[in-house]
Amino acid sequence: MRSVPLHRRLVLSLACALVIAPQATLAQSADAKRIVAIGGTVTEIIYALGEGDRIVAVDTTSSYPAEATQKPNIGYVRQVSAEGVLSQKPDLIIAEAGAGPVDAMNILKASGLTLISIPSPPDTSAIPAKIRAVGEAIGRKDKADELALKVEATLKATAEKTASTTTKKKVLFALSLANGRVMAGGSQSSADAIIRLAGGENAVSSVSGYKPLTDEAVIAAAPDVVLVMSGGAMQMTAEQAFALPALASSPAARNKAFVTMDGLYLLGLGPRAAEAAAELHGKLYPEATKP
Amino acid sequence: MNTLALLAGRRAVSGDRSAIGLLMLVALVLLLVLAIFTSIVVGPTGVGLPHLLDYLSGNAAALDSQNLLILEAVRLPRTAIGLLIGAALGVSGAMMQGLFRNPLADPGIVGVTSGAALAAVTAIVLGPTLLFPLQSVLGEQFLPLMAFLGGLANTFLLYAIATRHGQTSTTALILSGIAIAAMTGAATGLLIFMADDRALRDITFWSLGSLSGASTSKILAILPFVGFVMLIIPFVAKGLDALVLGDAAAFHMGVPVQRLKRLTILAVAAACGATVAVAGSIGFVGIIVPHLLRLAIGPSHRFLLPTSALGGASLLLFADSIARTIVAPAELPIGIITAILGAPVFLMLLLGRNGRSSMEGL
Amino acid sequence: MIRAREISIIRSGRALVDRVSLDLTPGRFTVVIGPNGAGKSTLLKAISGELKPDHGEVLYNDRRLTALSPIELAAERAVLPQSTALSFPFTALEVVRMGAVAHGSLEPGLAARQALTRVGLGGFEARSYNALSGGEQQRVQLARVLAQMPSPVSNGKPCAIYLDEPTASLDIGHQISVLELARDFARAGGIVLAILHDLNLAAEFADHLAILHKGRLVCEGRPENTIDDTIIREVYGISGTVGRLPAAHIPYVLPQSRQSAQR
Repeated sequence: MRSVPLHRRLVLSLACALVIAPQATLAQSADAKRIVAIGGTVTEIIYALGEGDRIVAVDTTSSYPAEATQKPNIGYVRQVSAEGVLSQKPDLIIAEAGAGPVDAMNILKASGLTLISIPSPPDTSAIPAKIRAVGEAIGRKDKADELALKVEATLKATAEKTASTTTKKKVLFALSLANGRVMAGGSQSSADAIIRLAGGENAVSSVSGYKPLTDEAVIAAAPDVVLVMSGGAMQMTAEQAFALPALASSPAARNKAFVTMDGLYLLGLGPRAAEAAAELHGKLYPEATKP
Repeated sequence: MNTLALLAGRRAVSGDRSAIGLLMLVALVLLLVLAIFTSIVVGPTGVGLPHLLDYLSGNAAALDSQNLLILEAVRLPRTAIGLLIGAALGVSGAMMQGLFRNPLADPGIVGVTSGAALAAVTAIVLGPTLLFPLQSVLGEQFLPLMAFLGGLANTFLLYAIATRHGQTSTTALILSGIAIAAMTGAATGLLIFMADDRALRDITFWSLGSLSGASTSKILAILPFVGFVMLIIPFVAKGLDALVLGDAAAFHMGVPVQRLKRLTILAVAAACGATVAVAGSIGFVGIIVPHLLRLAIGPSHRFLLPTSALGGASLLLFADSIARTIVAPAELPIGIITAILGAPVFLMLLLGRNGRSSMEGL
Repeated sequence: MIRAREISIIRSGRALVDRVSLDLTPGRFTVVIGPNGAGKSTLLKAISGELKPDHGEVLYNDRRLTALSPIELAAERAVLPQSTALSFPFTALEVVRMGAVAHGSLEPGLAARQALTRVGLGGFEARSYNALSGGEQQRVQLARVLAQMPSPVSNGKPCAIYLDEPTASLDIGHQISVLELARDFARAGGIVLAILHDLNLAAEFADHLAILHKGRLVCEGRPENTIDDTIIREVYGISGTVGRLPAAHIPYVLPQSRQSAQR
């Protein structure tokens, strides 16, 4: 009987590893030392679990904490470079759902590396599950549980506090105001989730996701507050925003109610979500938080 | 040195630039070999010459599985597709410049790029909503198929408008082309306006072009179209030369003008539609490469067409090698590189002495 | 023999060419004259196959023109256009070479060089066409035509050359040499059709003259039988010009009276 040649054996065992044991996959990933994190919230959670040192590369949306931005960058979350990722010699890839492009993801899967996708629904109640998923992937289940419970608690507390607000202000989150066009966060968006947690009401409920609105729709929404992300080249000042025809006649313009917060902090729906909601609450209802 | 002087001297007397055309052809073949080699061994993962040698000598087992994957799933497919796309763009540009008797024509002039762009943007924006049934059935093939069909459809429309009584007027093609481009541009703009955040990002990247999606299936998909436009080179070279003297003069010299126009437009539309479908829109190659070559070897299509193919392929492969390494581990869209490489060289040559003489008669 | 039979070309209700019949006989230099807008170029386009006549037909050796493919036609006739500007910088040789290629020549470069020498442009091969003077460009085009039709008779079959105002940008000396070249072509058995605007040159070189006026063929025959005061007055609107010397103080130049001019 002839012995099976070495390379054939390697291929066979690789096939077995991929096909037979999903649990074994997770077990393998638990000790991963070279993690590529794709997605700002994923990166943030890994750091929150104290495992930031195990990350070798991140994507462009991973802006928190500051150390993360020093890591090698493999591209925008939806346009990562497959070979770029592989050049970091990772043993684990953790990606936010929606990372792409599809071809690159396929190559990464075909490489035999463990690729774990973290579902990211636009819902604050999904945050603990996100934390647990990442924690399990990197072998810090217990710590993740701890963090998840803590986050759950702060989320609950924030929700109770903000629920007491009697008159909710209508908040319009504008992802972009470029060229005078309002790209608003509708229902089923992370902006919507944060606004509600912060005790506000989403002024825009007619669309879902981040969609462009006609000027009339924006006027009809009549927001009390305009909320935008800070930073970035297209940064608009309050004066500029309220000069736009869509917003000029809004209650927000009358009260000059214009709030800016960091994008990942506000929308990431990660460990800091409760803090972000509380901070937003403070900005929405400054009178309520006066000592 | 002596040979070149001899050749140059011969050229000055004879006025026939075949010698330099042939020289350029050989030089570009060598350049292409270098470009192919560079494209295979250069990249952020350090897979390089030794791995390639192992692979070629049948010793693939010596490579670890990841390096093998990189070679087989990334480097080789990208090189193959870059070669095909670059060659298609280069030769299409040369053909369109000959057909329209205008060194500023690019393959998009027949409407294929604006049509493909419109179809691609439609796929990106309406795919998850209105066209969802279609998208779910076709999956990954949805966007490329839409782009390809859109490009062809737009070209047919343009051709139909510009053809009267079986005669296709080049002026009518250009003017109709402008009108149709405005319409498709408006429609594309409308879709962009309606697009949500995710779609906008996808559209941005698509319009900058990328070879990152290269795969064997994509290579096989575009191969017949690129092959076709290459195959017709010997048949159209003579006709395109004669066409420079005018439709009538070409006809008088035995060129079947209408058939030539139809064949060239169809071949270019199919080849460019296919390349846009798999790689997004990559600009500059179709204009720059033929123009540079024309400055070097003269406008005779016998040599201009094949050298444009070789030159286009080399340019794109070098551009892709740069795109993959310059901001590693991230990747720059290739359209940016071709523009950065091409535009200054183009300007320099246009403004230099050689360039001025090339613009005589314009 | 090339025959145009009852050719009519109508555009916007106007007949540019009105039932014109013309026979082009081998060995005969046929010249068409007439005022601007008489339909001369249009008639030539119909005969060369560039335009399809609305009525009538053109026969090449009893074969209908419409039945001939572009390649077959290219073997029957070559056309010298009025003027051409090129969008790409071809050299003179490269332009002429196209004619040789159209002929199917095995050594098109060599044939092109010979053709350039025939028109007196030997040494101009490497010059950029667009940088040449109008007259030189015209002669390059003529060389191209000659490269496409090197022999007036090929395999017993007469070949045709059509010249559309070949003397337009040329000085008198070159006008004469071009027309002499064309006449030699006809003498050797070829078919020559030329549109000329100079009546004197037409009178000297034509074996057969056809006068067009408002699309109609008003007169044809040998020059001495066709050009007279009546027809010139009718067609061109000026009288008393045939065979009369001008007033004493006006010098006159008669190229047809040049020394060693032959008929």
